[in-house]
Amino acid sequence: MSSTHTKSATIEQHIDIEGHVGIDEHIGRDLEYSAAYRWQHWIRAFSIVALIATGFYIAVPVITPAATNEPTNFLYALFRTWHIIIGFVFISAILLKSYLFIFAKKHVNERAALKDMINPIVWAKQIGFYLLINKHPKLKGVYNPMQFMAYLLFYLMAFSLIITGLILYVHVYHEGLGAFLYEPMRSVEVMLGGLAFVRELHHMLMWGVILFILIHIYIAVYNAIFIREGTIDAIISGVKWHKRV
Amino acid sequence: MQSNSLFEKMSSRLDELSILPKLDEAVSIPQLIEEKGFSRREFMGWAAAMTSMLMLPANFTPLVAKAAELADRLPLVWLHMAECTGCSESLLRSSSPSIDSLIFDYISLEYHETIMAASGWQAEQNLEHAMEKYKGKYILMVEGGIPQGLSDFYLTVGAHGKTGEKHAKEAAENAAAIFAIGTCSSFGGVQAAAPNPTNAQPLSKITNKTVINVPGCPPSESNIVGTLVHFILYGTLPALDIYNRPKWAYGLRIHDACERRGRFDAGEFVQQFGDEGAKKGFCLYKVGCKGPYTFNNCSKQKFNQGTSWPIQSGHGCMGCSEPNFWDTMGIVHEPLANRLYHTTFGGLGSDATADKIGLGLLTVTAVAIAAHAAISVLKNPEV
Repeated sequence: MSSTHTKSATIEQHIDIEGHVGIDEHIGRDLEYSAAYRWQHWIRAFSIVALIATGFYIAVPVITPAATNEPTNFLYALFRTWHIIIGFVFISAILLKSYLFIFAKKHVNERAALKDMINPIVWAKQIGFYLLINKHPKLKGVYNPMQFMAYLLFYLMAFSLIITGLILYVHVYHEGLGAFLYEPMRSVEVMLGGLAFVRELHHMLMWGVILFILIHIYIAVYNAIFIREGTIDAIISGVKWHKRV
Repeated sequence: MQSNSLFEKMSSRLDELSILPKLDEAVSIPQLIEEKGFSRREFMGWAAAMTSMLMLPANFTPLVAKAAELADRLPLVWLHMAECTGCSESLLRSSSPSIDSLIFDYISLEYHETIMAASGWQAEQNLEHAMEKYKGKYILMVEGGIPQGLSDFYLTVGAHGKTGEKHAKEAAENAAAIFAIGTCSSFGGVQAAAPNPTNAQPLSKITNKTVINVPGCPPSESNIVGTLVHFILYGTLPALDIYNRPKWAYGLRIHDACERRGRFDAGEFVQQFGDEGAKKGFCLYKVGCKGPYTFNNCSKQKFNQGTSWPIQSGHGCMGCSEPNFWDTMGIVHEPLANRLYHTTFGGLGSDATADKIGLGLLTVTAVAIAAHAAISVLKNPEV
């Protein structure tokens, strides 16, 4: 760690063409994530936390009012209502992000990661990097292959959560969207083996997401500490610092 | 307008039926009902309730009454497969017979193992005779799961030792309508639960004809007779849900029309049987009620002549009218979140809930992360 400190001490500040303050002509700022990308990431992140909290309560209502004859505040119904409202926020974020990934011009660097995904050499190097045996591979896109794979799995879980969630939803609200989705969702329900299993699957997939969050945060912090490209900052400011070769 | 044309269609259908010969010319259903102590007023009250249950307008009540009176015109074959006879009992064994059970007693039952007088060779002959005489006209009702294929020998019926599978197949061949009465014949039931040693299958897997499922363990008497009255009235099969259950009975979840639903939404739960909440009639979700996953009309029709039903008597729903309820609904007195996974991870996660397994995986991941982080700090990764 001490060697990096001495290195940075010698770096001079300068101002680049766009007027931004940089630290070295060999290090450049790149727009990594668009504003839409960052907004939906954080909206989604907070919605997931809220969904997990309300979801656990719906599964086993741990807080219950005392058995009195006083008027109640409909606690359980409130939890369910918020779970559903935030659920639709989550669905919107996932749909927006899916659209951006496939169609948006600014997100071409995301799609470029597919090239690394199918390259076994990048795979081997990436695994080697996390096993601390070789250098980080040069990437064409914004995601490394392991990262891309993890996100693919996350979206698979997210869409499964959405489908199972909507199946549970159509049995709670029978009008409007609930009525519109009722028949198709019941067909999926039968394919999955009944409402009870749909509910279980929803619960199991949530655990998958919890595991994902833990690993996701660890790897992000790991990269921020050891690669020093501003990995964590990138999801807030949108830019990352890359060495110019 | 539409209801007018439906009214006329049903009227002409009933007129056609009334020409058919009765089971016994000497007695009629209206006569029988009166003899058993029900006034005409009570009978019409029953007909009005049945009308509303079938989701027909009130002016159809006379038609429903007539349909019930004509119930002895349609020959009915009732087969017992691998089951407990609980569905028949649901209809027959009431301390004070309801109009439902009286009608069922007196419909033209050509073959019903529990209540027929014949036995042995004679019973077999009755069945064959009925199936021949009323070819294409009789209604088939089947109770019980059916051991299929190589396991068919687990169920043999009658003096010929014919397998249940063969019986059901033959009877289904020439039936005008086929009803699977009870969860066993609808979905396999308890004997089809894992590991299903006898390979018991629902009736719909045995025959490729359309089977109307009337599940429940048992289904209420009004659902059984209602299905029959519906067929007499329409002559066609009812609107069905995704599991081939009549929509008028299985369109909503138990939970949707539950009398304790207000308690559920208020977050007022029975924590354990016998506590203060149980005395106050709180929601039974936390002591294992599976009403949210179960489609049936128990809360409206109830059992034993409308006396009560499980949730009213303080016990949660077991989900008995759902496919594979024995396997999918978990522990009877625990919420679904506490379901145990017996063989997860080759026995490593045995008898654990999803949350316990999840926490275990989370711990393993956290330990792995800590180890990886510690090694990385000691031996800086190459960048």
